Amino acid sequence: MRKYLNTEVVDAVVIGTGAGGAPIISRLAKAGLKVVALEAGKYWHPQKDFATDEREQSKLVWNYERLSGGKDPVPFGRNNSGIGVGGSTLLYTAYTPRPHPDDFKINTEFGVGKDWPIGYDDLEPYFDELEVFLGVSGPTPYPWGPPRKVNYPLPPLPLNGAAQLMKRGCEELDIKTSPAANAILSSPYFQEHVGWRNTCTNRGFCQAGCSTGAKASTDVTFIPLAIHFGAEIRTECFATQLQVDKKGKITGVVYLINGVEERQFCKNVFLCAGAIETPRLLLINNLGNSSGQVGKNFMANTGIQVWGEFDEIIHPYKGIPASLISEDMHRPKNVNFASGYLLQSIGVMPVTYISQLVRSTGAWGKELRNRMNAYNQVAGINMHGECLPSQENFLELSDESDQLGLPKPRIYFTVENNGKRLGEHAERLMKEIWEVAGAKNRFTVHRNAHTIGTCRMGSDGDNAVVNAEGKSFDIPNLYICDNSIFPSSLTVNPSLTIMAVALRIADKFLRK
Amino acid sequence: MEINSSNITQKVQDFLNSPAITEPTRKALIERIEKANGTNRFFTDYSFNLLSILCDRLMDQDPEDRIVNIALFIDDRLAENTCDGWRYSDMPPDNEMYRKGLKGVDEAASIMFDKNFTELEKEAQIKALEAIQDGTAKGDTWKTLPSKRFFEELLAETTEIFFSFPLVQLKIGYAGMADAAGWKKIGLNESENIETFVSNNFKNSIS
Repeated sequence: MRKYLNTEVVDAVVIGTGAGGAPIISRLAKAGLKVVALEAGKYWHPQKDFATDEREQSKLVWNYERLSGGKDPVPFGRNNSGIGVGGSTLLYTAYTPRPHPDDFKINTEFGVGKDWPIGYDDLEPYFDELEVFLGVSGPTPYPWGPPRKVNYPLPPLPLNGAAQLMKRGCEELDIKTSPAANAILSSPYFQEHVGWRNTCTNRGFCQAGCSTGAKASTDVTFIPLAIHFGAEIRTECFATQLQVDKKGKITGVVYLINGVEERQFCKNVFLCAGAIETPRLLLINNLGNSSGQVGKNFMANTGIQVWGEFDEIIHPYKGIPASLISEDMHRPKNVNFASGYLLQSIGVMPVTYISQLVRSTGAWGKELRNRMNAYNQVAGINMHGECLPSQENFLELSDESDQLGLPKPRIYFTVENNGKRLGEHAERLMKEIWEVAGAKNRFTVHRNAHTIGTCRMGSDGDNAVVNAEGKSFDIPNLYICDNSIFPSSLTVNPSLTIMAVALRIADKFLRK
Repeated sequence: MEINSSNITQKVQDFLNSPAITEPTRKALIERIEKANGTNRFFTDYSFNLLSILCDRLMDQDPEDRIVNIALFIDDRLAENTCDGWRYSDMPPDNEMYRKGLKGVDEAASIMFDKNFTELEKEAQIKALEAIQDGTAKGDTWKTLPSKRFFEELLAETTEIFFSFPLVQLKIGYAGMADAAGWKKIGLNESENIETFVSNNFKNSIS
C-alpha cells in the first residue's frame, strides 16, 4: 500500500471507509489523486479473524457510547453502527433494493418531508455500475420499479425457511413476493483489481461479519480497488479536528492514533463518518452549520418485525437473513399515511433473537427458557418503511465525555405520526401473513433501523448543510457523503443509494 | 487450539475440536468457557453473590448447579470499562447503574419481605423481581433510578451472556457455530448431519 507523508498536502482526506467513503476513496485514487483515508477501526482479515459467534464479533461494533433519548430511543451499537475498514457495511445485511423514482419526491407527492435535489435518473447509471461491481444477486426481471438498462449479474440466492414461510403466507393473501436483490454472491465472482470473491455459504452471519467475502462490504470491494490505485488507508485513526485557515478553507485533519495527535495536510476533506459521527465532528469543531441543520432531521426507517414459532424445523440462522421481498406496499392505496414500505423475510442469529425477544416481551425465567427452546422453529417477517423528519428528532452534544475526551452525542427519537400510522398498517399486515403461514406465540419487535438525515442535502444553504454535489455551503473544500445527507429516508434500505450518491459526488468533484 | 477443561464433557470437547468448527470460532468459544472459571474484580463479594443469584433467577438457573455464572461476565465488562455503544439517556453510566440497582434490589426485598434478597426463598425472590420489572417496587433507589429500565438492561445483558455461552447454545440445539463447510440444506424441515448430531447429543441434555 502506498503511504503519504503527513506533511504532504494530499488531494483528499476521506474520513470513514464505509458505504459513503469507500466509493469516493477508490474513484479519486483511480483518477490519479493522492488520497488518505482515516478509519477509526481496524482492517480485518475475514477468513482469519471472523468467528461464527455474535459476542466475539462485537469487535465490529462502534462502541464509543451514544446517549439515546426521546420517547422511542434508538438503540445504537450493533443495531446500526460498525467500526473498522468497511464501516457499517461490515454489519449490513446487504439488502440492495433500488429506490423508486418517487422516493425522491415525497414532498411533491404528499406535502410532507423533503424532496431531494436530485432524482432517480441522476443515480440510475450508478445503480447499474454498482450492481455489476459489487456482484448483486437478484431476479431478472425485477418485479417492481421502472424498467432497467442493466440486469442483475447473478441469479438470486436460495430461499431459506423464513422466506418459504413468508411466501406461503403472502400467496394466501394475494401479495406478490420475489427473491430479493442482495449484494451477496450466488457464485464465485471476479472483479479487476479486486480479484476473486467466494460464493455465499449460507452461514447467515451477514450482520456479524461475513467470513467468506461473499457479502459486498466495502473492505472486500472498493477498498482493495482503492489501494490498487494508490490510496492509503490509515487504520485506528480517530479524526477529531478540521483545521481551517483565515479564508475558511480546510488545511488539514487532526486525528488521534494510539492516543497521540497527528495531522494530515490536504486540499479537500470528504467527511463520511455516518449520520452520528459526521454531525458530531462538525458540532465539536463548530463548523459548517450556518443553516443550523447539522444534527437535525434525524431519521431511522420504521423496521417493525413480527416473530412466531412454527411446526416446521427452520434453523433460522441458515441462509442469508432476507431472501424474499415484497414491494407491493411501496405506495399502498387508500391508507391514512404518506409513502409506504417493503416487506422482507428474516432469519436470525440466536443472541440477536433472544435480546430482541426479552426487550420486546419482558419474558424471563422459566417462560424465557421455554421460548428459547423453540429457537430452531422461529421465523420472522420484517417491514422497512419511510420515516419523516421531525423537530423532535435530532442529535446534540451532551455534557458527558467519552474515553477520548470528546463529548458524547445524545440522539432524541420519537416515532412521528406518519410513521406510527404506517407502522400500524404494516404490523397488522405482517401479523396476518404470519398467522396464515402458521405462526404461534407471535410477538412484535418495534424498532427503527439505520441513522439518517443529520447533514441533509438541499438546493438552499438556509435549510441544508450540503448541496446536490455533497459540497458544504459554508466550507468550499468540505464534502459530506454518507447516510447523513439524505433529505428523506427512502422506503428501501439505504446502502445501495449511499454508494450511488458517493460515486456521483466523486464524479462531480473530479469534473471540477 | 484445543480445549482441555475439566468441567466440560468429552463429547462437548470433541465437538468443539471437530473440523465442523472453524479455527476463529473455536478460539472464541474455548476462551469463553475458560473465562467462566474466573473471579470477581469489579464487584465486592457481597454484590457479586447478589448479582449472581439475580442472574440465575432471570435465566431460571439453579445456583447450586449453574451452567455458567453470568455475573462473572458482567463483572469482567465493568472492570474493563467497555460498553456496547449506547445507553438510555435517562440512565446513569453502567457501573453506577449496577451499583445503584443492586442496592435497590436489596431495598425492595427488605421492604417486601424484611430480608435481603439472597436470604429469601426462590418464590419471594421472583416476586421481588416482578415488582422491579413492573415498576411497583419500593425503595429510595427507585426514586432516582427507573426500575423498569434497570430491569430491562439487566435482563438484556444477562440474556445475551447466557445465550452466548456454548453449553447453553448446544442445550437449545443451536448448531450454527459448526459452519466450517457452510450450510447446503436451508429450507423448511431440512436438517443437516451436524444439526442432527447436535440435537441428538446436546439438546436438553447438557447439565
